[in-house]
Amino acid sequence: MKAVIWMIVGGLANVGLVLLVAPLAQGVLRKVTARIQSRQGPPLLQPYFDLLKLLGKEDIESGESPGMQRFAAYLSLAAILAVACLVPMGFSAPMNGAGDVILLIYLLTLCGICTLLAGLAAGSTYSLVGISREMMSMIVLEPLFAIALVVGALHAQSFRLNEVLSGSVYAVAGTPYSGLIMLVVMVLSFQAFVQRVPFDISEAETELMEGPLVEYSGPKLALFKYAHMAKLIIYSALFVTLFVPWGSGLFLPLAWLLFWAKVFVLVLLVTVVAATHARYRIDQAIRFFAGLVGVSFVALILASYGH
Amino acid sequence: MTAREMFEQFKQRFGPLIVRADLPSDNRLFVFVDPSSVRYVTQHIFRELDARYVATIGADDRPFSGKFLVSHNFAFDKEHLLCGVLAYLPPDKPQIDSITDMVPAASWGEREMRDLVGIEPVGHRYLKRLVLPDGWPEGSHPLRKDTLWNEVPAEYNPEREFKFDEAPEGCMVVPFGPFHPTLDEPAHFRLFVEGEMVRGCEYRGFMVHRGIEKLAESVMNYNDIPMLAERICGICGCVHNVAYVQSVEEAAALKPPPRAEYIRTIMLELERLHSHLLWVGLACHIVGFDTLFMQSFRIREPIMWMAEKISGNRKTYALCVIGGVRWNITPELKVELRAVLDKLESEWRPVIAAVSRDKNIQKRTCGVGVADAGLVKNIGLIGPVARAAGVDIDCRRDHPYAAYDRVEFNVITEQGADVWSRLLVRAKEVFESIRIIRQCLDKMEDGPLQLEIKDELPIGRMGLSSVEAPRGESHHFVITGENNRPRRWRVRAPTYQNLQGIPAMIKDQQIADMTISLGSIDPCFSCTDRLETVDLRSGSVKVWSQEELLKLTRKKAGR
Repeated sequence: MKAVIWMIVGGLANVGLVLLVAPLAQGVLRKVTARIQSRQGPPLLQPYFDLLKLLGKEDIESGESPGMQRFAAYLSLAAILAVACLVPMGFSAPMNGAGDVILLIYLLTLCGICTLLAGLAAGSTYSLVGISREMMSMIVLEPLFAIALVVGALHAQSFRLNEVLSGSVYAVAGTPYSGLIMLVVMVLSFQAFVQRVPFDISEAETELMEGPLVEYSGPKLALFKYAHMAKLIIYSALFVTLFVPWGSGLFLPLAWLLFWAKVFVLVLLVTVVAATHARYRIDQAIRFFAGLVGVSFVALILASYGH
Repeated sequence: MTAREMFEQFKQRFGPLIVRADLPSDNRLFVFVDPSSVRYVTQHIFRELDARYVATIGADDRPFSGKFLVSHNFAFDKEHLLCGVLAYLPPDKPQIDSITDMVPAASWGEREMRDLVGIEPVGHRYLKRLVLPDGWPEGSHPLRKDTLWNEVPAEYNPEREFKFDEAPEGCMVVPFGPFHPTLDEPAHFRLFVEGEMVRGCEYRGFMVHRGIEKLAESVMNYNDIPMLAERICGICGCVHNVAYVQSVEEAAALKPPPRAEYIRTIMLELERLHSHLLWVGLACHIVGFDTLFMQSFRIREPIMWMAEKISGNRKTYALCVIGGVRWNITPELKVELRAVLDKLESEWRPVIAAVSRDKNIQKRTCGVGVADAGLVKNIGLIGPVARAAGVDIDCRRDHPYAAYDRVEFNVITEQGADVWSRLLVRAKEVFESIRIIRQCLDKMEDGPLQLEIKDELPIGRMGLSSVEAPRGESHHFVITGENNRPRRWRVRAPTYQNLQGIPAMIKDQQIADMTISLGSIDPCFSCTDRLETVDLRSGSVKVWSQEELLKLTRKKAGR
């Protein structure tokens, strides 16, 4: 019973933490981007105000099926927060006993599904083009993260969250070839997972006017934006636990601080890459991802032979 | 080859077909031919003599000669010669053989002539409405002299809609515009898309046609019009201002003082500088590279301040009057301008060095929006679009005006014919502009800024002026008239021709490349439409119908 309570408390703590930190990360991202662009940039806390402003606006029903539109907005934030419960954030994963890596993969896919639902609900030409792009990139992107997790699971000989999400990709005797390959693959595709330039193709403002989100406004848009910000934090946390686990064995406050420092370094990296690149076209992106999928299969084979 | 030699050549070839000719100078030739031989003559000029198509102009000349007038203008760039092929048409049923099957570039020119003046181009294959609004009744033509400038026909029907072409089989229609983040002004493209590939498109523009030409011909005077002309465009306004003034000066055989010519050159080049920097920024924004967008705007800003110091305005310099300029460049301004140019040069060089090595931008722009030399010739594409396809044309060198014959500069060309080449052309032209301004500052002599004009300007004379705008050649045609105003003034902005090349440039390309392809011609719809947006500030919340808005604007205009 006590364990269950701790699980719930831990999960809620994680969710609260993500909700609290995500806009700050976005603020840092915007400020640093502005600096790179010789601009002053908005105040660090601006994303919090932006969300509050959007939440306070009139809730307008629009698009072809308003019900689905609403559902997609709720689901997108809910799905990403559910992921938050499963990811260790400086502590061990709170819902360690309630789910495993497979559930994690499914929930991550669900986030992409929400974008599809949103686009379908809008029913405009631009959103349809947007979701067709989203769908194409999902098909090649999702396997990448899944393979990274499976490689970890193979090395850890377990699908349990705590065992996989602790740098398990390197957990072999000798040089962890498969882990290192997956590290390179994930670094190269990370921008796409957090939907930033050069891979923000499905929303491409200057081409598709935000694509699937074209019909969203007010509170529902706020939920999507929030989910988008949370995604950056959660994927960064996943990346850190899976690939940069060093220092997690230190005593608590230090390990915890180190973890968040690593997450913010990753956010900065994302920012710099986004600020120095032009958007790729969908066919160029897909070719790029397809190459990565090929490489990651090699890593999977290596992992299954224990390398 | 001078105009006289060219005319001798024409005489040998066409003989009796030529009714009359005007040779006002060595660089201008007006040949009047019989309407039935226009096709033959223009084909020869366009195909065998390899002239470049410039513009088609229709004019209602009935109050003066009792006839309609059509002029097809061509440019012999290597011979430094601008040439008009003119024909008078009978007043009752004006029609002329279309030349579009041989000169495809004339398509819009003829459609516009049909819409606005009511001259029927016989044999034109695509006679859809181009300029007039959908609800405008057939048979009413605003540019005819018997139509008042503020007249709205009684049969005007705002409910009538435009009939678009059918989409080809298997294609989805993606509407692009009138409002889209990358369109700064309204224009509508209906893209026929198969998957992610664009298979074709239809254009409907001219949504906010202001009727500037009509206004000038009916209520303004010679020295009002330069200020109206520069409001044609918010980016290259000075170009229109200078081009109009030059065409009137040419018609009236006036020569502005040398200092005025240097100042015109400097302002035109300042405008090119800020326009090219703006374009590089916007192009980067379109492909999602916002950092360079912001940086080029930062680098551009001192140019705007400099323009403000010289003319009092960041844009819309109000520079020219007939026979001179209104602003002087004082010794203090000279020093400051030199400093701004030095800073610009030192900041732009590393940017270009970085961009030209950037594989990421090349990936989005190489082989995209291709317009090869053949298309350039057929559609009459101009400016950086032509130069990027290796077509070596530049009005500053080919048809020198202002002080361009007294400065040295290179015409930048590239061979790629794609968006990337256009980016390189514009980026490198920045340095040439800096060079030109520096030479002007060195060579500029003291002297008066304006010519004293005591007499009325002569009546019924024609003047042409081609000015190299940042986007390409801007061509103005003027017939001088009574009441201190021109009888006919026709503006052909560069986008007017370049936009006609877009359907060919985006065909069989990815939809993602559409915006950058369109962006690569640096489209200026206001030049094409001659439009203006009206900012309405209303305290109370009110939804305005089109009717009410029209009423309101008319009330404001005092009608």
